Amino acid sequence: MNALQGLVVLLFVTLAVLTLSAGLRGTVPKRVVAAALLLWAFGGVATVYPDTVAELAHALGVGRGADLLLYMTTLSLAVACFYMYARFRRVERQLTMLVRRLAMDAAAANERTSLPVPRSSMPSDPIRHSEAAPRLM
Amino acid sequence: MRPVALEQARVFIIVAAYNEAASIGDLVRDLMEQYAHVVVVDDGSTDETAELASEAGACVLTHLINRGQGAALQTGITYALSRAADYIVTLDVDGQYDVKDIALLLGPISDGTVHSTLGCRGSGHDKPSLGMRLRSALRAFGKLGARLGLRAPAPLAHNGLCAFSRHAAQMIDLQLDRLTHGSEIVQQIVAHGLTLREVPVRVRVSDYALRKGQRSSAALRVAFRYIMARFTR
Repeated sequence: MNALQGLVVLLFVTLAVLTLSAGLRGTVPKRVVAAALLLWAFGGVATVYPDTVAELAHALGVGRGADLLLYMTTLSLAVACFYMYARFRRVERQLTMLVRRLAMDAAAANERTSLPVPRSSMPSDPIRHSEAAPRLM
Repeated sequence: MRPVALEQARVFIIVAAYNEAASIGDLVRDLMEQYAHVVVVDDGSTDETAELASEAGACVLTHLINRGQGAALQTGITYALSRAADYIVTLDVDGQYDVKDIALLLGPISDGTVHSTLGCRGSGHDKPSLGMRLRSALRAFGKLGARLGLRAPAPLAHNGLCAFSRHAAQMIDLQLDRLTHGSEIVQQIVAHGLTLREVPVRVRVSDYALRKGQRSSAALRVAFRYIMARFTR
């Protein structure tokens, strides 16, 4: 094992420790912890014994070990992108619901306070966006 | 369920506006001449849109952050339903419709024929330009997509003018915030088993609308969002 391999293995060990501690704290679901640990273990083995990856690649009909790694990386990147997009959309939708709720509440508050006064006779208020917020609390 | 006669009905007009200070005032005044309840959803505008709409007499709902036209329309629909609306009409600020034509859309709903109507391009247009023909070719693709997704033939090329009965509006829940809502409205109407009719409406295409209008490439973006959204429910 040369110096570079040692460094990379150290990196994987650190990642494994971080993953384990996150798993123990319960911030990450168990199956995610398991999948991540498997990935780090695979990375470690591939670093120390590159031939095993080559053999695996041959078994799967892929030419070289490096190619197999490339395909796996690409695939996992695509999957990760999909999950990120799904999460992004979920957050966007929640944000929309929040903004909608604020708009509805502000309108209701406005109707209560300004019923006798026509809106056009109210002083023009350039900061009505920020003014709406405290009223909601 | 018996529909409410148009004369006694509470009709709510919903306009989603994002930085439309140039035209929102006139539009609201036009609408207010015929309809008592005009709701402008100011979608996080940075200009005077909200003030001008409110001065013109509209009820203004403010999105603190821009959330897109679909989201703004849904906010307006939710609000109208909470204020006992019988019929709800949504329209685009730059749609350039004749306000009188709104009654054409409400007719088939108030006599109980259908649950919802969509305005579509009326006939009698000038010879279409090359750009317009290209667009209709693109739109044909959109129609195909809607058909595949919908499993039922349905129009897609509506022009932003939609009308719903209270019953239909209660069913609709627009979750696609951006421009994709055009397909989404149709998709939901069909999915909920509501009936739908296209009503030809005259559209005056002004320079303003052309300048503000979308590029044809927007269709691809809309298609992408629509497809992704179906996967990421």
